[in-house]
Amino acid sequence: MENIGALAIMLAFCLAIYSVVASLVGAWKKKPFLIASGERAVIAVFGLIVIATGILIYALVTSDFRYAYVAAHSNRDMPFYYKISSWWGGQEGSLLLWNFLLGAYAFVVVLQNKRKHRAMMPYVVATLMSTQVFFLILNVFPASPFQMLAQGKNIVEVQDGNGLNPLLQYWTMLIHPPVLYLGYVGFVVPFAFALGSLITRQPGDQWIFTTRRWALVTWFFQSTGILLGAGWSYAVLGWGGYWVWDPVENVSFLPWLTSTAYLHSVMMQEKKGMMKVWNIVLVAATFFLCIFGTFMTRSGIVASVHAFASSNIGTYFLVFLTMGIAFTIYMILGRLDYLKSESELESVVSRESSFLFNNLILLASCFATLWGTLFPVISEAVTGEKVSVDAPWFNRINIPIGLFLLFLTGVGPLLAWRRASSEGLRRNFQWPFVGMLALMGGLFAAGIHHIYALMTFGLCLFVTMTIAQEFWKGASAIAKKEATNVLSGMIELTHRNTRRYGGYLVHMGIVVMFIGFAGAAFNKDSTVEVEQGKSFQLGRYDLKVTSVNNGQTDNYVWQNAVIEASVDGKPYATLHPERRIYSQSQQPVGAVAIHRRLNEDLYINFAALSSEAQKPIVQVYIFPLVTWIWIGFWVLTVGTLVCLVPSKVKMTYARTEVVGMAGKHEKVAK
Amino acid sequence: MKKWRNSLLLILMAGLSVAQTGDMVQPEVRRIGDRLACLCGSCKNTVATCQMLGCHYTSPARARISAMSKAGVSDEAIVDDFVKREGKKALAAPAAEGFGLAAWLATPVVALAGLGFIGWFIRRSRKPVVSAAPAMAEADVAKYQQAAERELSRFDE
Repeated sequence: MENIGALAIMLAFCLAIYSVVASLVGAWKKKPFLIASGERAVIAVFGLIVIATGILIYALVTSDFRYAYVAAHSNRDMPFYYKISSWWGGQEGSLLLWNFLLGAYAFVVVLQNKRKHRAMMPYVVATLMSTQVFFLILNVFPASPFQMLAQGKNIVEVQDGNGLNPLLQYWTMLIHPPVLYLGYVGFVVPFAFALGSLITRQPGDQWIFTTRRWALVTWFFQSTGILLGAGWSYAVLGWGGYWVWDPVENVSFLPWLTSTAYLHSVMMQEKKGMMKVWNIVLVAATFFLCIFGTFMTRSGIVASVHAFASSNIGTYFLVFLTMGIAFTIYMILGRLDYLKSESELESVVSRESSFLFNNLILLASCFATLWGTLFPVISEAVTGEKVSVDAPWFNRINIPIGLFLLFLTGVGPLLAWRRASSEGLRRNFQWPFVGMLALMGGLFAAGIHHIYALMTFGLCLFVTMTIAQEFWKGASAIAKKEATNVLSGMIELTHRNTRRYGGYLVHMGIVVMFIGFAGAAFNKDSTVEVEQGKSFQLGRYDLKVTSVNNGQTDNYVWQNAVIEASVDGKPYATLHPERRIYSQSQQPVGAVAIHRRLNEDLYINFAALSSEAQKPIVQVYIFPLVTWIWIGFWVLTVGTLVCLVPSKVKMTYARTEVVGMAGKHEKVAK
Repeated sequence: MKKWRNSLLLILMAGLSVAQTGDMVQPEVRRIGDRLACLCGSCKNTVATCQMLGCHYTSPARARISAMSKAGVSDEAIVDDFVKREGKKALAAPAAEGFGLAAWLATPVVALAGLGFIGWFIRRSRKPVVSAAPAMAEADVAKYQQAAERELSRFDE
């Protein structure tokens, strides 16, 4: 069985190379059978990766500890679902997950474009399969999931495995890595089409229209993956930090920033035929930052809490990144004639300009995050001395950027295309601005003096009012015209232009998340050693440890503290924070108890028993408004889904088509 | 067998008790600790925010800050003392001096460069103002008109 798995990966590797060569030669020599053969090879590659994956999962589920990977990342007593999630618990398996998802995406692309984009497809396939070749190299050579445990020449089996890292035995970890990978891997598709468009000198925006949904869906997966990771960190690490600017967190954030910038600037290309070079740069940057993120997570170049799978495969990534970036730059520079703008900017105060500023801010944040992540390495290389760049630095740089972005979220959508009049500006922004100032003044008078929190709340109201205004104006006009109510008008309005109004909902999701982020300014915490039956206080809560209990499951032994919380003498909640020791790894892990409410979370970690008196030591935290981060995610999800629904009214934009400089290039391939 | 193993684990859990010293965060520890990185190697928090109970770096660091503060040592002197002991990595953010200045200035410089680029882009891509003045001198226009008339008169012949 193990030989079949290894063979399947090896064959997939060979066929992926064949697919690249067949597609390129087929396009060059104009041989349709070779192009078709290259596309069929994509299907075969995916089939072989499915076989390899199936074999690894079977080995994990049946606890076949002859496999080194199974022995290192699984054990007999683990629940079934965690055995499956061990697939991505280690280096080799998570690379196989990359290959699996990449193969699946390539498979779908080939099926979707059987009769479309025939000129571009060989290059799209070549790009997809070149990336696949790279990741298969890793699974075939330095990180094979099918290595067997051996003694001399004999394969041996250990009694039980080491088990999955206990920190990863949490429900969001069942879906966080695959979802994040769906976002990371997914951007290879827009990138492949962009590159295909460049190589075949496509003049228009075919690649944009083809990959619009891909980009949106993969962006959504990136957002979901990041939020799931934040949720895991909040609930598992024992101190409620959902974002600490750890290098691995940062590198997942970088492609999200560039893809968000792309989703905005692409509208300029669709509507005005502008920013063509820039959009290709953003798609390429997103793709390479995804690869860079994987490189950072696995190379061990920077120390990280999350680097579960660091190793020495960094060189492979560096080679791939260098070659890929060099080729992309070469292609962009060689095709500048085809990427000329078709329109002109008429005013600085216009929707077009707001997109430029939005892109600037997103990329400034991207740069700041990348710079802060790499600065310790750069500084050590330059000065020979180590420095730390921790959360205070990132917060100081990124919070003002984030607030400005929030401001633009409110301003941008209300500016008219081409030119905004001063009368229009006054009409659109007068009340949101008044509302913002009134709220900030009111909160200040109420005793909230944290400047960033005040600004965040004010801007959140500003953006909410601008969005509500947009919905209200459109919906009431429809309601009046069609003699219906405003709610029906709102649904009709959204259906007529799902991208626009879905986009507003996504913005609303971001606003709601910012409310949650601002709550961090008012966090409270306390660490106390308390006798059973005695109370202590934090904020408005009286907390009493009533008992300490022990127990066990097949996978771990546990000890919990029963803590009763009351407010003003009235019972509020009973929480059971727990400490666990996992049987195979013998690693102690806390399982915090969280009482979630819209206004604040009461979060308790049972840290230890004191060595002298064996009294429970508990860490208690109050996290105001944090639940709004997760609510914001659901609003963002609804907004993205609305964006994906086809609009009732088809938007067309009359534009001239630039077909490049006559005589300099070949005939345009359509 | 499993029962024995779990009993041993329970004993191990009891053994994982800690002395509850130095983990309470007093206001001065929070203020000064916010400027100092936790160097335990497994977190990206500051001495003020590290929540690992009995952290081998943060716990003694907090005790030290507390003791020095009580002895009347200023905040700056306490921070300097940590830098003297651990090097610049003791600071949670690079000092705004020497190469550390680059950490702080790079983002604003890049953002300003981006702003400059946008300014250039807007100027370049704005619609040109149509000038009322003719693009050619009158003498040139007359010269081309004469040439055109000459060519046209040949067709008449």
